Amino acid sequence: MTNRRNFLRYTAALGATTALPGIIGRAYAATGAMTVGIPVPISGAFAANGKFASMGAIIAAEEAAANLGVDVSTLDLDTEGKPATAVRRVQDGIAQDGVKLFAGGILSSESLAMGKEIERGGGVFMTTAGADEITGSDCNSATFRWSVPTFGAIEQTLRPIIDAIPDAKRWYTITPQYVFGEGLLNATTNLLAEKGLEHVGNSYHSLTEKEFSGYITNAIAAKPDVLLLLNFGSQSSDTLRQAISFGLKERMTIVIAWASGLEQFEGLGADVCEGVYFGAQYWHNVDAPLNNALRAKVREKYDINPNYSLAGSYICTKLLLDAAAKAGTTDGPAVAAALSGMAYDGLTGPETIRAEDHQVMKDYYLLKGKAKADMQDADDYAEVISAGQSFLSPADSGCKLG
Amino acid sequence: MLINKPFFQFGLVVLTVLALPFFLRSGIMASEILIYGMVVAASNLLLGYTGLLSFGQGIFFGTGSYLAGIVLTRTGVPVGLMLPMAAVLGTVIATLVGGLSIRRQGVYFVMLTLAFSQLFYFLAYTFSDLTGGDNGLLDVPRPMLNGEQLVDPWSYYAYVGVCFVLVFAAMLLVTQSTFGRTLIAVRENEERAAAIGFPVRVFKIAAFAISGAVTAFAGALHAMLIGVAPLSSIEYHTSEIILVMTIIGGSSSLYASVLGASFYLLMADTLSSIWPRWLLLLGLVLVVVALFLQKGLWGLVEKIYALLTHNRIPPEVEPSDLGTDTTAKGE
Repeated sequence: MTNRRNFLRYTAALGATTALPGIIGRAYAATGAMTVGIPVPISGAFAANGKFASMGAIIAAEEAAANLGVDVSTLDLDTEGKPATAVRRVQDGIAQDGVKLFAGGILSSESLAMGKEIERGGGVFMTTAGADEITGSDCNSATFRWSVPTFGAIEQTLRPIIDAIPDAKRWYTITPQYVFGEGLLNATTNLLAEKGLEHVGNSYHSLTEKEFSGYITNAIAAKPDVLLLLNFGSQSSDTLRQAISFGLKERMTIVIAWASGLEQFEGLGADVCEGVYFGAQYWHNVDAPLNNALRAKVREKYDINPNYSLAGSYICTKLLLDAAAKAGTTDGPAVAAALSGMAYDGLTGPETIRAEDHQVMKDYYLLKGKAKADMQDADDYAEVISAGQSFLSPADSGCKLG
Repeated sequence: MLINKPFFQFGLVVLTVLALPFFLRSGIMASEILIYGMVVAASNLLLGYTGLLSFGQGIFFGTGSYLAGIVLTRTGVPVGLMLPMAAVLGTVIATLVGGLSIRRQGVYFVMLTLAFSQLFYFLAYTFSDLTGGDNGLLDVPRPMLNGEQLVDPWSYYAYVGVCFVLVFAAMLLVTQSTFGRTLIAVRENEERAAAIGFPVRVFKIAAFAISGAVTAFAGALHAMLIGVAPLSSIEYHTSEIILVMTIIGGSSSLYASVLGASFYLLMADTLSSIWPRWLLLLGLVLVVVALFLQKGLWGLVEKIYALLTHNRIPPEVEPSDLGTDTTAKGE
């Protein structure tokens, strides 16, 4: 087997490189007892998410260092939002820096790829990415997911609205045509059918779409009572803005099933958000002991409220470090074993990690945008209408971990 | 100039393969440099030797990547057979894309390759049962050698290194052949080349086919390197990166491609961790290259070599410097 040592030996034997200078390498970032790799997009289109994720991980590392009395550091690994780069960074993190704990992966495609690589490298990975496959058909022994998958997001967003607005019989959806959107759409159509409501139409759009007025006019023509947006991030913000400019807020209920959190509200502004329903993985004002503590720390350290990217990275890093402390090692399988079945007080209240598919059981929130006049502070964009947990059984999710 | 002679270029390639482990700690990065070195050399065959600026190279790279993913995860076909299959499929698709694109010249040719790039991206995106859609194809295995999988990055680097040297040698042979010199004649004066009886279209399509074969071959190696065949491998941005590497390296010699790939990948790796807006610096580098280094980094190497050896650089050093003066031949 040719490894690097042999390769160099053979090379030297050829006498071809004897005059070359010494090895130039990066200094180890990890000088302490534990290092957590943070593979997130630090550059590129999703750089803002990566920046907050890095900030959240640092808080978790500082907390663990203080609690455990050992050096804990984070190592940012810029994925650039590309699966290929993400995998390379993770491979290097394992091979060069000896990292075994990884928290990150904002995009589903990069998270799926990294999860496989980290499993091969003997590490453990905690992510917030949305694709159902992460704890479904492509689950693996090393990958854990904190965020609620599409089924739970739709259940916890739509059921309370259906109960609150029984006259809303006709629903129209706008969906991005990729696995995440398809997952949300399937869960929606199943729920509407169960409730005897009419799905009057759906518009698909591509991942690169920026102009949604055509889809909105299709929605208007279908005369729905509810416009349900199943897209994400800037696409859902653009769709919402354009829908409002068409006057849809006055004519129907608008729902975004999977909002990206406080950063999305900040981008949209209170006037746009007022009266609109949002499904959310996390909200900074939720009254849970760990969330209250995080909010205070983030305000003290960064003078902001925690958003989803920051909070998600914080909890993923914290869980890994807690499990490593419990296992007494950063070795992937041992940490994974400590994580499996773990129950703890999380950012959304009591949370547990299901051993069968490595899915965290946590609340998903339905928020409603407040009027500007009702906001208690600059970030008080929404009130929490309801919260709850809905998950497919491991058998139904397709995970074969056993 | 000595440094543009084929034996010297080949020597540089071998030296690069042997030297990279001394300079880089990451076997993954070293392998990626060699893989993109092949891809950029294939792009150079079109841009530098034939004068065709193609935005379609990502199609061939993605094709090879997907072929590796599909064949290695869904069939029992060994890597040794899969790699030639990737090259053949790359040839077929490149012949198709090239055959239609070269029906127009200049900006229309560029737009056609761009359109094909988008077309193939959406095909991959739409046929998600085959390609994995947005998630890509996961669990692409690395090759086996003596019953052991090349899990260690440096083991796989050695495998890629052998492929790289062989492919580069083949590319050198192509550029040194009558065929290669005719490509340069076509680039220099297409009408004149046609007038003296060269089937210009056939030559251009053949250049596309060779370029597609090499690029798809490299795409397959890349999928095995990272263990995944992602959708991003076939998107327009991949074509753009390949072109940027080609231009930064310079299109006046094949080894310039290795310089371009190395420079881009190492710069991205270093700068992206330091500054999120590192692509701004890349823009500056491109401006500098466009204004002051039109022969790319290899042009700079030529200048330094000329200074050291007190040689004068010919006013226009072209790939023809690798062989004979094709303009004269064309006449």
